[in-house]
Amino acid sequence: MGTLDIGGSQLDVSWFLLLGAALFTLGTIGVLVRRNPLIILISIELMLNAVNLTLVAFSRQLENLEGQLFALMTMTVAAAEAVVGLAILVDIFRVRDLEDIDDLSELKG
Amino acid sequence: MAIAVFIVFGLLAIAGGVGVISFHQPIRSVLSLVVVMLSLSVLFLLLSAQFVFVVQIIVYAGAVMVLFLFVITLLGPTRATGRGRLRFQAGLSALFVLAFFGLLYAMLQGVQYRQPDHTDLNAFGTVQSIAVGLFTTYLYPFELTSVLLLVAAIGAIYLSRRDES
Repeated sequence: MGTLDIGGSQLDVSWFLLLGAALFTLGTIGVLVRRNPLIILISIELMLNAVNLTLVAFSRQLENLEGQLFALMTMTVAAAEAVVGLAILVDIFRVRDLEDIDDLSELKG
Repeated sequence: MAIAVFIVFGLLAIAGGVGVISFHQPIRSVLSLVVVMLSLSVLFLLLSAQFVFVVQIIVYAGAVMVLFLFVITLLGPTRATGRGRLRFQAGLSALFVLAFFGLLYAMLQGVQYRQPDHTDLNAFGTVQSIAVGLFTTYLYPFELTSVLLLVAAIGAIYLSRRDES
């Protein structure tokens, strides 16, 4: 179970899933460790891309197109998220010179 | 052949991912993310997802990355950040990330697949088959995404307006 026949050679679908998991973990590290808000947004894009790879891999394994359709929806949501997130970031940078995401702690109480 | 393509572009994607989180200049992170997206698009092609491959290059590597580059030029060079104020951030993050990856790996070991649907793989993932799915079964979600894009556009214009007062 789980082997794909691609152009005559056998690939295991779990390789793709493992690659997706590794990329998602790298994105998680970026969100947790980096303190530049722009790089945090870039890491979120990386995580969304890893999820897309997983969706497309499952779609190919089950020979069912719905995974690819869902990946397209994810791309739309990711584009909308990037647009709004970057607009908020530009707005914050216009008000004050931010160098660390931890400077935004007014909501902490 | 397919195995070689997978190994080359998988390693390229991992290297790009490491670059995204380790470069200090944001522009280098963005360019590493372009590397990740292009190698992932090759993997999509390997998984016979032609339309997703094209959309990945046009929308992600094209539009979204250009948006990031514009914002970087708008914000100018960033200063080097000093020490963070969270004392245990790196250690706790490493612990959490290791546990998280271990969990994902453990889940991948026990994954069970159901029987494939036996669709015609020659027509799998083409523009036509994607369009049939989008405009019949998933018509309402597809139309809702256009509303979402409209809301995002209006929100971005509102947030980035000049304050006249």
